[in-house]
Amino acid sequence: MLEAINLTKRYGSHTALNSLNLKIQPGEIFALLGQNGAGKTTTINLFLGFTEPTEGTALINGISVAGHPQEIKKYLAYIPETVMLYPNLTGLENLKYFSSLAGFDYSEKELGELLATAGLQSKAFGQRLAGYSKGMRQKVGIAIAVAKKAKVLLLDEPTSGLDPKASNEFSRIIRSLAGNGTAILMATHDIFRAKEVASRIGIMKEGNLQSVIEAASISANELESLYLKTV
Amino acid sequence: MHFNFITIIARQEWTSIFRSKIPLALFTVLLLVSLLATFTGWQYVRKFNHQQKTAHQEVLDQWMNQPNRHPHRVAHYGYMVFREKSPLSFFDFGLDSYVGNAVFLEAHRQNTINMSEAGFSNGMLRFGELSMAMVLQLLVPLFIIFIGFQTVAGLKQNGVLKIMLCQRASFLDILLGKTAGITGVVWILFLPLLLLCLMAGNLLIAGGINADALTRIVLLTILYALYFLIITMLVVTVSALSKSSKNALMTLVLIWMLFFIVIPKTAQTLGSSLHTAPDKIAFEQAIEADVSKQGDSHDPDDPHFSQLKAATLRKYGVDSIAALPVNYGALVMQEGETISSGIFNKHFDNLIGIYKSQNTVSSIHALIDPYLAIRNLSMNLSGTDFDSFTAFQKQTEKYRFERTKKLNEIHLTRIKYQNDSKQKVSAENWQKQPDFTFQPVPVSRNLSDASLSLAALLLWVAAGFGALTYVSSKRAYQL
Repeated sequence: MLEAINLTKRYGSHTALNSLNLKIQPGEIFALLGQNGAGKTTTINLFLGFTEPTEGTALINGISVAGHPQEIKKYLAYIPETVMLYPNLTGLENLKYFSSLAGFDYSEKELGELLATAGLQSKAFGQRLAGYSKGMRQKVGIAIAVAKKAKVLLLDEPTSGLDPKASNEFSRIIRSLAGNGTAILMATHDIFRAKEVASRIGIMKEGNLQSVIEAASISANELESLYLKTV
Repeated sequence: MHFNFITIIARQEWTSIFRSKIPLALFTVLLLVSLLATFTGWQYVRKFNHQQKTAHQEVLDQWMNQPNRHPHRVAHYGYMVFREKSPLSFFDFGLDSYVGNAVFLEAHRQNTINMSEAGFSNGMLRFGELSMAMVLQLLVPLFIIFIGFQTVAGLKQNGVLKIMLCQRASFLDILLGKTAGITGVVWILFLPLLLLCLMAGNLLIAGGINADALTRIVLLTILYALYFLIITMLVVTVSALSKSSKNALMTLVLIWMLFFIVIPKTAQTLGSSLHTAPDKIAFEQAIEADVSKQGDSHDPDDPHFSQLKAATLRKYGVDSIAALPVNYGALVMQEGETISSGIFNKHFDNLIGIYKSQNTVSSIHALIDPYLAIRNLSMNLSGTDFDSFTAFQKQTEKYRFERTKKLNEIHLTRIKYQNDSKQKVSAENWQKQPDFTFQPVPVSRNLSDASLSLAALLLWVAAGFGALTYVSSKRAYQL
């Protein structure tokens, strides 16, 4: 479970995030919409422990991120906008390396299954990442997150630059992870993707969470109108 | 800190470096340069020692073939002594090319050491010679910079560091793993090469490896291993502090210029301006002035020699020099020799003191420049340092004094005062005199002479770990 209590981040006189209060339950997908500089990535960085809050607290499974940055790593996984990884390693080698850094020692068969779960075709397993498309690299990123068996998944613009087919596949996998009880926070520009996968959607502007909407209660067009009106 | 994660990261770093063609191409170039430097170094030392051996034999033959003659003529005939190059001088030329290896010994005069390589070459030597030590000290750091500058900065730039940090490895684990991986690569590429070259060169030059040589070889290998570790830690630290690979590379190239050009030159200039040494003419004039102050054996009214004359006459209970049972002329010469040798030693010790103070300034700079630390240690252990040179000068002056003293004793007891210059003694008298053999500085004294540099190198290792720990504790450097 993720929780933000009066979570604030200031850089000098600039307020990147202003008193965010948010709770994301296990199995829930929460999408954060907003323009560049709205505070989405700052929120994710605060939950990842890469930056310390000026005020307030970020909690993962009830544990303070700022207080126990190393301990909370057990519970979370992260997929950035562009998964680069190691271009001179194969998909399997990358997955093996990153999962071993999470403390898991998977067999080659298990690693293959994880990559297949993430939607990667088996012929690509042994190819170097340098030859992968962005969508294929994103799938390896998903496999890394799945391999970690994380309770919390943080996604920063995960479908940016993906073709519609890859985006759809990505959404399917995310929903399946949430179905297994993972709490997911996803920062995105993509209104339609947010509407498609999230259970709740928050719209951010200039560091403030302006509104939170139940995704089921609004159509994609209404969400777009609301978004444009808000930002 | 998790050793398991450090090992995993180190192994991955190792794999990444070996999968890339650039590090291997760079290593091939350095390997060829190292082998060339070793070969030319070995050839040079072998040729030099051979020439020196021939010259020494010639000088010895000339000395032995002198006819029966007056011992004072023998003392003035003089003798040339040589310092054979240390077996490891092929690896690190140190000061050898500039300080000379031969000196002409004669009565009443303390000649300076001559026949330096610099004195017999064109000005190109000023720009440095290619030695394996130079490759390891200057070029291997560049190799480390090129394989390591983007090790953390690159991961930051492409977002991989964030994913790594979201696994369970800490930033410190990552930095230590990267350090271990790069150090492992550098050690596996260069330490066996170093060890092999040192063993082979020593074996070819000296014909074997004794305990002293083995100790030096092992110590050199360990110290170079530490030096590579220090440079790697520095590269990883700068890479971790930089926002981009480009910034990291620029900073590291700047540090390379500071470490290998600016600081060594500054240290040298600062040392010579803080501790000014007299030039050769001023040094010799100061000795001459002190000798004439002490006493002039040719002046009948000189108080020192008048006292000597009175004391000698009193000792033997006679009233004239002609009545002495010993040759008074030889006594005066020996007294003059004792005076001039004492004065020379005093001035020489002062001069060495000044040079040592200058070297201390350079050694202190090793605290801010690890290159100066390894440079000093490498020279010391290769036997091409300043202490090896001064040891030669001191040993030759001692030998010159003893040899002249023995000839003066023959003069004193075998040559009558009357009609002194017309007399001769058997050549056997000087043929029995022992030949000069340079005694190299033992390794324990080499290490003790370079203790400041050794301490600086160890402090750099500790500082490297300190820097990595500090950087890893700052969240700002993770993004």
